[in-house]
Amino acid sequence: MLASRVFSLVGRRSISTSLCLRAHGHGVVKAEDYTLPAYVDRRDVPLPEVAFVRDLSAQQQALKEKEKASWSALSVDEKVELYRIKFNETYAEMNKGTNEWKTILGGVFFFLGFTGIILIWQKHFMYGPIPHTFSEEWLSAQTKRMLDMRVNPVEGISAQWDFDKNEWKK
Amino acid sequence: MANHSQLGFQDASSPIMEELIQFHDHALMVALAICSLVLYLLTLMLTEKLSSSTVDAQEIELVWTILPAMVLITLALPSLRILYMMDEINEPDLTLKAIGHQWYWTYEYTDFKDLTFDSYMIPTADLPLGHFRLLEVDHRVIVPTGSTVRVIVTADDVLHSWAVPSLGVKTDAIPGRLNQTSFLATRPGVYYGQCSEICGANHSFMPIVVESAPLPNFEHWSSSLSS
Repeated sequence: MLASRVFSLVGRRSISTSLCLRAHGHGVVKAEDYTLPAYVDRRDVPLPEVAFVRDLSAQQQALKEKEKASWSALSVDEKVELYRIKFNETYAEMNKGTNEWKTILGGVFFFLGFTGIILIWQKHFMYGPIPHTFSEEWLSAQTKRMLDMRVNPVEGISAQWDFDKNEWKK
Repeated sequence: MANHSQLGFQDASSPIMEELIQFHDHALMVALAICSLVLYLLTLMLTEKLSSSTVDAQEIELVWTILPAMVLITLALPSLRILYMMDEINEPDLTLKAIGHQWYWTYEYTDFKDLTFDSYMIPTADLPLGHFRLLEVDHRVIVPTGSTVRVIVTADDVLHSWAVPSLGVKTDAIPGRLNQTSFLATRPGVYYGQCSEICGANHSFMPIVVESAPLPNFEHWSSSLSS
């Protein structure tokens, strides 16, 4: 974006003289592609550095000559053709979304599923039994002991048990 | 102790822990507000079309410098308040020494008589029904309820850390160094903690159990053990 501002400050002459010399191999070092004025379709760069179509056919050149006269003499198709010479996409085409999100979402689900398969395989084939302190009998004895000891009586487990009615609070 | 899927803090059993829980709630709200704002702005920016007409941003730059500074002050003031509160002179009634070994704790009550004992974890296979796996010990640390207790923490071999979450205590046990902390158990009960500094193979198997009992019970226990 900064580059486009620089060009507008320095003037069109610089584009036609030194840069063209460099582009056509008359400078000292070969000018790389990325240093030459480029075309870009972006909302925040409304007027790109160069026109889209560089080499005009005879028909297009005739049209450019006609453009120099009054524009009301141009038909709609001719105006569209002039636009397409200058620009690649219209704003509508530029702003159109893609279907990339479907691919991304699909990839995410695929890898989530793959991870799940690995976890299931591990649980089935690799891991041993869990400690005996997770049995129903142990857990209920443990919960009773926690309540008897008044563990976390302010907002925790003992605060959720009704000690008078011997049941969980509703 | 915590429930099996507990995310939040255990209920406080000391005044410092109560303060810490309140500060945590405050800080969490601040963090939540900031995250919501950022998420909202992010969505706004990602759904907005790009424009070439922004050149200057002086006002918003001022806002997003002053506002975060104010947020930081909002966080710093309560935090420092609690930090200084922890260091207040509180004239402890009892001094307890906790010495970390690989892989058990030794406790010494030497204020009045020489009471020393080791505290080993009870192995899972030897647990009575309903007891807590990896948390129970053979000899608990008994302290009187409502009395300020000074704990001097050190270690015999490698680094350990003496931590009891519901009392708001965590102090590193460093060989050759005495670290001091203090707590006040506000209610009677049994409070569990675990060694909080990696110390070898059985680091996860050297828990801490503090039992807060009324003063007469504490005196009865202390005299029966040390005689």
